[in-house]
This record gives sequence, C-alpha cells and structure tokens, in this order.
Amino acid sequence: MVDTLPFTEPEIHGVLDSMRDADLDSLGFGVIGFDANQLVVRYNAVESSLAGLSAHRVMGQPLFTTVAQCMNNFMVAQRFDDALAEGRALDATIDYVLTLRMRPQKVKLRLLASPTGAHRYVLVLRAG
Amino acid sequence: MDIAEEYEALTQFLYLAPVGIVQLSTDGEILLLNPISSQLLMPLTRDGGLANLFTILGDVAPDLRYQATQFAPPQGMICDGVRVQIDAGVRGVRDPRVLSLSLLKLDNERMMALLSDVTTQVKRERMLRQNEAWFNAILTGIADYALISLDATGRVNEWNPSIGRVTGFAREQVVGQLYSRFYPDDATTHDRILDRLHEADANGWSMDDGWRVKSDGTRFWGSAVIVPLVDRDAATRTLAGPELGASVPSVEAIASLLESPDESRYCLIIRDITDKREATEQYRRDTQCDHLTGLANRRAFFEAAELELARFRRTPRRLSLILLDVDDFKGVNDRYGHAAGDALLQRLAAVLVGTFRQVDTIARVGGEEFAVLLPSAGIDAACGAAERMRLAVDAEAVEVDGEPIRVTVSVGVATMDGDLMEFGALMKRADSALYAAKSAGRNRVVVSAQPLAAAATAQG
Repeated sequence: MVDTLPFTEPEIHGVLDSMRDADLDSLGFGVIGFDANQLVVRYNAVESSLAGLSAHRVMGQPLFTTVAQCMNNFMVAQRFDDALAEGRALDATIDYVLTLRMRPQKVKLRLLASPTGAHRYVLVLRAG
Repeated sequence: MDIAEEYEALTQFLYLAPVGIVQLSTDGEILLLNPISSQLLMPLTRDGGLANLFTILGDVAPDLRYQATQFAPPQGMICDGVRVQIDAGVRGVRDPRVLSLSLLKLDNERMMALLSDVTTQVKRERMLRQNEAWFNAILTGIADYALISLDATGRVNEWNPSIGRVTGFAREQVVGQLYSRFYPDDATTHDRILDRLHEADANGWSMDDGWRVKSDGTRFWGSAVIVPLVDRDAATRTLAGPELGASVPSVEAIASLLESPDESRYCLIIRDITDKREATEQYRRDTQCDHLTGLANRRAFFEAAELELARFRRTPRRLSLILLDVDDFKGVNDRYGHAAGDALLQRLAAVLVGTFRQVDTIARVGGEEFAVLLPSAGIDAACGAAERMRLAVDAEAVEVDGEPIRVTVSVGVATMDGDLMEFGALMKRADSALYAAKSAGRNRVVVSAQPLAAAATAQG
C-alpha cells in the first residue's frame, strides 16, 4: 500500500509523519526528515542508497551544514527559513541538481514544512 | 573496517570537504564533483544544470576555456589560485564575492578543478598589498629617481637636478607645469591629477606604475609615488568640525597652509623601472588581465570602478560607462568554431584599445561582453568614442582560415549623475541601453534614457 504513495501526493506531509520507518524505506523516493534544530531525524533507504551513506552516519547531524551542503542556499535552505519565520506551511517542488556520490544528478526536490508538524522534509526523486 | 564501510567513510569525507573539488573532461564536462562545488557553482548557472564548468563560469571567467585549450603540456597546472570576481558587491552591505579557482590537467582526458570562496581573504590581502607596494617603492631600485616638489594644485614648484637626469627636461620646461608633464597625453586627466593628490592626503601616499615620457618624447616605464609633505588633516579637520579642535591652529596658519600656492605640498618621486617592467607586467597580466584578449578582467574592472566611484563621491565629475556586446556571437561560434570566435574577440579587443584612451579601463566582463569605464568623460565624449568604435568594428572583416567574418556590436552608454550612489546602478543603466540597442535591431549605440530625457540614438 505504502509503496504506491506517489511523490506528488497532495497531502503527503501528514502521511509521512504517520508512517513507520520501515514503511518509509519502501517508498519510491528519498526522504530526509529534520527537526526544529535542523538535525536529521529520518532518513529512508532510498535516500541512503542514492547518497551512498548508511543512515547511522547521517542521523542527528545538521542537515544543511553537514549532510546536504549543496542545499544550503536560497533555493532550499532559505525557503525553509522563510516559511518558519513567517509561520506558514511550505510545499514546493523544484528541479535541482544534487551531487549524489559526487556525480551531478538531476532530481526533483519537494520541500515540506508546516507550522504544526513535528518534522520538516526534503523528498528526493531522481529525474529521467 | 571492511571495504564497503571504508568506501562510505571516503564518500562522507568528500561530502564534508570544505573546498570544492571537481573532475572534468578536457572540454569542461563535469564528471565528478562534491557538494561544496555545487553550492559555489549553482548560483552561477543559467539553467540550474551542472553539465560543463566552462559554460557555468563563462560569464565570470570567460577566458578559462581558451586557457585550458591553449595548455600544451600533457599534464600540469593550467591556473593556480586564480581569483574570479563573481559580482560587484554592495557598498557597506556585502563585499564583492570572489572565488579562487585552480585547474590541473591530469592527462589528455581529465582535469581537476579546485574551488573556494575567498571573499574575506581577498579583502584582507588588498590592504596588505598596499603596504607591500609602499615598502617596495622605498626599498628597491633606488638607483635613480626624480625628486619633484609639487604645490597644492599639482604644479611643479621647484627645480631639482634629478628631474633632468631621469626625464631629460630642462628647468623652464617643468617648473610651473602640472605633473602630467611626465605622462603621455591620454594617460591621465585633470581630474585624475587632483585625485592622486587627494588620495595621497587621505592614505598617506598614492602610487601608480605606467608609461612616462621624457623630453625627447620617448617613453619609459615609471613608478610614481606622491607623498604629502604636511599634515593637512589637522587643518581640514579644524575647518570642518570645530568640536574636534582641542588645539586649534590659528586662522592665519590654516589660511597660509591652504592658500599659499607656491608652497611645496607634495613630493612626487618617479623611478625609471623599465628593466623591471617585464616582471611587474607579468604579475599584472596574471592577476588583472583576461588571458584571451589581454584586456582588464572582471576583477580589475570592478576594482577600477570602485576607485572611480570613490573619487566621484568625493568630487562629483563626469564619469561614463560603455557596455558592448558582439551581435550574434553564438552564431559565429556555431558556424566557425570556438577558435574563430576567439580570434574575433582578440581583434575586437585591438579595436577597443585603438579607440579609447590609456586612462580608460577596457575590460572583458563576460563571454562576448565588454565594458569601458571613461573617467572625466561626459555623455557626448563617451558616445562619440562608442560610435567611432562601432564604425571601426563594422568596417573591418576579420579573416579566419582565409574566410572573412564580419561582425557588429551593440552598445549601451550611461553616465554618472548625483542620483546614482552605486556602481551597480550605473551598470544597470548602461545594460538597459545595451538591451535597447539589441531590441532596436543591433549594430547601434543607445544612450541610457536617464538622466537626460532627450537621449540621442546613433543608428548604424
């Protein structure tokens, strides 16, 4: 059932919050969840294999300064900051290039934040 | 640790590395890169893609592709820690962003690039460099120099035999003349003569290297330092703000300091360093010049612009900017190849150098985009020069592999006025005029509509 959850699912934020880690692992896209301090708290198997890193190397690390420096800019990190500062929800999908295992890889990123939700998410879908 | 574990540790090591590392094919295609590279390069891409380093850096380091293709040895450093200026910065808010770039050829297929943000470092170094220039002037090459005493307006007020020895001029040819006597005709302006005196007052000295002339018209490469002889600060401070004046000089003392025109106020020292020119010029070429065209690079251009703007703020005067762009340059590249495009840009650079004055800063600021900064030139002078240049380009065919190629340029001209506080604003005006020239059918000069409502359009 969960493996049919599409990347574009409109109400995806709430669904992710309620999913167990094992279910996150069976999704067709990468999931990185982080808390109010920008520390990584969820990291699914797809993301782990895209990046070539086991979850234990990433969990508890600061997302934008350590785990994903290439998202530390106005296109990604800034949008989370802005949403937080303005107390509004964020659900944006952008075309992006990640350096997965040091190779430039075109992806779609979906950025999710809500003023009430426990976690914020970056979802990563390989393009093409 | 097993191999998989170790591989992962290495992967993370690269993810975390605080400098950008990129592996490329020799034509610039990106094969591998770490996240910090992507963070540094992403804002420079037009399409958000990270496919080719030469393309990504095309606007800010337009000569990189040329440098790489011209590099003949099978391996070695193509460039080492070259400073690439990303933008002009915002005065008082943000320093101009500068990247350091090294390019290493590994073999005939691959290169490595190293990237880091050196914005803060560059700022520090600039201060150090000035100190170094000063010590250099004092400590080296004191074999011969002309010692020239200037009054408050920059006129030579005393004869000294060393002037005759170095420049060949006689007393009566020099005394009472502005110190521009020792400069080639188009290498300085009256504003610039006074600027250097002001800068000597403000900084304790003002230094510039360049061509100087002797009495027989021959040129020599000279290093000139102007040093103020009295502490004018005390006088001007008192005049400007009495609240600072604990020990106030007498009104008479101040008046005599500022008004006695014959008094020596500055010492100008000119040294003939022709024999050192090659070494200093090489250094200047490496750091300040575009490798393909030999014109100023972006970094040198923005530095010159910043200095001119500071001068404008102190004493508003005429200052104009010309931006020009080769029409359909992409078409030339597509049809005749990059080498032909390069040859064409080199020829265009020669036309620019032939058209503008020595005192103007002529720079390559993008792939096929050039900028000329014209101190002490108003809109009419700037337009006149721009139009002459446009006609010269239009009239001449460049021969590449026996085939004549004709190109034209579109030109935007803007001039500084009191409303503009940032150089970026002047750039914007010139850029809009350039855009208007393109939209109106290319091969023409358009003057920025502001500040004069009745802007002239010279058509081709």
